[in-house]
Amino acid sequence: MKNDFDVAATGARFLAAAVLLGVLAGCASSARPEAMVLRAEADTRPFPQTLLHSMCVRTVTGGEETNPLWVSKVDNGGFRSALTSSMDSAQLTAPADGCSYPVDVNLLGLSQPIMGFDMTVTSHVNYKVYDRAGQPYLLETVDAPFTAKMSDAFVAAERLRLANEGSIRTSIEKFFVALRDHNAAANAGGSVAAK
Amino acid sequence: MPAFPVRASGLVLAALLNGCATRQVTPVRMVQLNDANLTCTELRQQIADNRAKAEVFLKKDKMVEQGNTARNIGSVIPMLGVLLVASTDLSNSEQIQARALIDRDQQLAFLEKGKGCLE
Repeated sequence: MKNDFDVAATGARFLAAAVLLGVLAGCASSARPEAMVLRAEADTRPFPQTLLHSMCVRTVTGGEETNPLWVSKVDNGGFRSALTSSMDSAQLTAPADGCSYPVDVNLLGLSQPIMGFDMTVTSHVNYKVYDRAGQPYLLETVDAPFTAKMSDAFVAAERLRLANEGSIRTSIEKFFVALRDHNAAANAGGSVAAK
Repeated sequence: MPAFPVRASGLVLAALLNGCATRQVTPVRMVQLNDANLTCTELRQQIADNRAKAEVFLKKDKMVEQGNTARNIGSVIPMLGVLLVASTDLSNSEQIQARALIDRDQQLAFLEKGKGCLE
């Protein structure tokens, strides 16, 4: 016959297992491009006139496919789609044959937690913008942290995906700030402004 | 209540509360303030140094990945498995630093060419 201690211990184990399952379980899914698009910006300053309707995303590298049994990642296609849509809404995208400022993106990596109530993901991205002559116009390294809270999603896999998406959105926002702040004159002679 | 499960639960909870903080990483910037003043020798030296550092980081990155795979496999072990998963390193610190150094070298090579160092 079980005593009160055994019953309490069994109950505690079940409770711990349930909490752990809730926190750990759930198949990982890739970051959704539409959730990484920057729509409303806090910064309303205009972009340099030369960049308007003149940019395009040329390459995106460094992304990773998500293994459903492991953790959520950001793939190249998703990042490209999110950046292109963000540039569309900012009036930066050039017509099909008129791209004067191509952008190459290198996703250096995502720093992710393996578990936690609040999950902070930091994306590290190199944005390389070239001008008409193929000279670097802006070379910007962006570190963008974003925290997804327990109240955003109970299941850890989903919370991590939200943190990934938020981090890329923040990264694109910081890239746009750098574009606005960029002084083209500083690039005369092929040098690029440090950030 | 037995002591071990209580302690183990405490460890797991502490890990959850801490969010298993990842290692902070600050990748090297592609462009740096003093770049315009670098001489051909300095450029060449920096490129070589960065290449060597990147190779070391890439090797370490592979080791971290192998360690993570082993921990993932070990996650099926009752109780211990959770602790193994909690110790998984998803900071990608080495990969980020290696890739940043490679991009930095691209920019230094561009400056080297612009200064006529390769002639």
